[in-house]
Amino acid sequence: MSREQTLRTLAGFIAEVLDDELDDDLDIDEDTSFSDDLELESIEFVALAELVQSHYGDHVDFVGWISNLELDAIIGLSVGDVVDFIERSVEAG
Amino acid sequence: MKVLFVVPPLTGHILPTLAVAEALSARGHAVAWLGHATKLRGLLPEGSTILPLGEGDPAHAEFVASRARSARGMAALKLFWEEFVAPLALASFDETEALVRAHAPDVMVVDHQAMAGALVARKLGIPFATSATTSASVGDTLEAFPKVAEWQREQVQAVAVQLGVDGGDTPDVSDSRVLVFSTPELAGTGGYPPQTLFVGPSLTTRRVAVPFPWEWLEAGRRKVLVSLGTLNAERGQRFYDAVVEGLGGLDAQVVLVAPASMVPETPENILRRDYVPQLALLSHVDAVVTHAGHNTTVEALSHGLPLVVSPITDDQPVVAAQVTAAGAGVRVPFGRISANKLRDAVVAVLDEPAYRQAAARIATSFAEAGGPAQAAEAVLALASR
Repeated sequence: MSREQTLRTLAGFIAEVLDDELDDDLDIDEDTSFSDDLELESIEFVALAELVQSHYGDHVDFVGWISNLELDAIIGLSVGDVVDFIERSVEAG
Repeated sequence: MKVLFVVPPLTGHILPTLAVAEALSARGHAVAWLGHATKLRGLLPEGSTILPLGEGDPAHAEFVASRARSARGMAALKLFWEEFVAPLALASFDETEALVRAHAPDVMVVDHQAMAGALVARKLGIPFATSATTSASVGDTLEAFPKVAEWQREQVQAVAVQLGVDGGDTPDVSDSRVLVFSTPELAGTGGYPPQTLFVGPSLTTRRVAVPFPWEWLEAGRRKVLVSLGTLNAERGQRFYDAVVEGLGGLDAQVVLVAPASMVPETPENILRRDYVPQLALLSHVDAVVTHAGHNTTVEALSHGLPLVVSPITDDQPVVAAQVTAAGAGVRVPFGRISANKLRDAVVAVLDEPAYRQAAARIATSFAEAGGPAQAAEAVLALASR
């Protein structure tokens, strides 16, 4: 699976969590910040984590991964960081 | 008995204390408020006893709170604690202690975000209840983020240590009684400490009479109230545009609370007002579109009204999630709202009876909760232990 595919899959889940269509307004790339650009709230993070995990399987333990993040790490989290995490977990799994 | 309320300079945290204070007064007890007098005078009944904190910069605390609101998500949480709750506690502790010593209350009711009040009560050995005006502040909203929950505990403990108060793991929360102005039917039961008492909403008719053109409301037409609360208007342009475009021409009358500058023209079925008599208006409408502030949400649900929730920040995403989990409403995004999304959501809550039925179930739970009278009894019980 290519990194680009992972990004598109993740972007689709983000749109789903945000009740949004993927349109010009929601242009997600690796630099997109969850806090500043997407304004994702903590409960939306959890919903996103559950979607990602059920799609890829439990070896992509997104729920466990975010539960170990410090506050500043969550504030600074970008879409690319999550793509990294998914790619890493898929390879390891 | 002397009961002292300690409140932060935040309207939504002061209003729920009014009905509880009224219940205490009716039982012959003496109530007083400790807080920022300029804020309190605008909200409390004439003749209320106020123990005023210094007004060095009266608007400062509110300014900081509103700045925290300009952020969202975890960034807002960080700003709110680091720039509002903690500095407010540190800055007001000595003054609070002096005022409480002089007043010598038998029992205190301390808002969860007025931490100095809790620490002073602990230091002086005065029994106190925590007032959680929004259920979100004491529930398990950070359950999925243990490191963040730990960070928040550390913030609280650092303040307590700096002020020399020994308060255990949660010095900001009463060990004896936490009053939550909601019910499990809406707020769930997860994560609340065992000393929690769900008393239901504490609603007060604001004493300021707001004029409203009641004759505009037509019998036989369905009606929707749209309000983003008092603090969010300036962020609402896109939202107001979606209201005008999406709800214009809808088979319903819409009362939109918004500044005239942001909504210069409206179609015939939309009435724009700067302010409305919200509680009175709720008896006339069929659904409410709200930012999911705790007070507006419980007011609407206590009337059995289904909701469209569009949370912006603070506890609003949590409250919005409570509403949708209970089946009493539909959530739409705030920042990326569109006319279509808003119209679909409003039509859904108006047309599909399940939303109204769920709202009615919550309204029943509110009516059966003990309300301000039960809150008053619980507070008095602390003093007579």
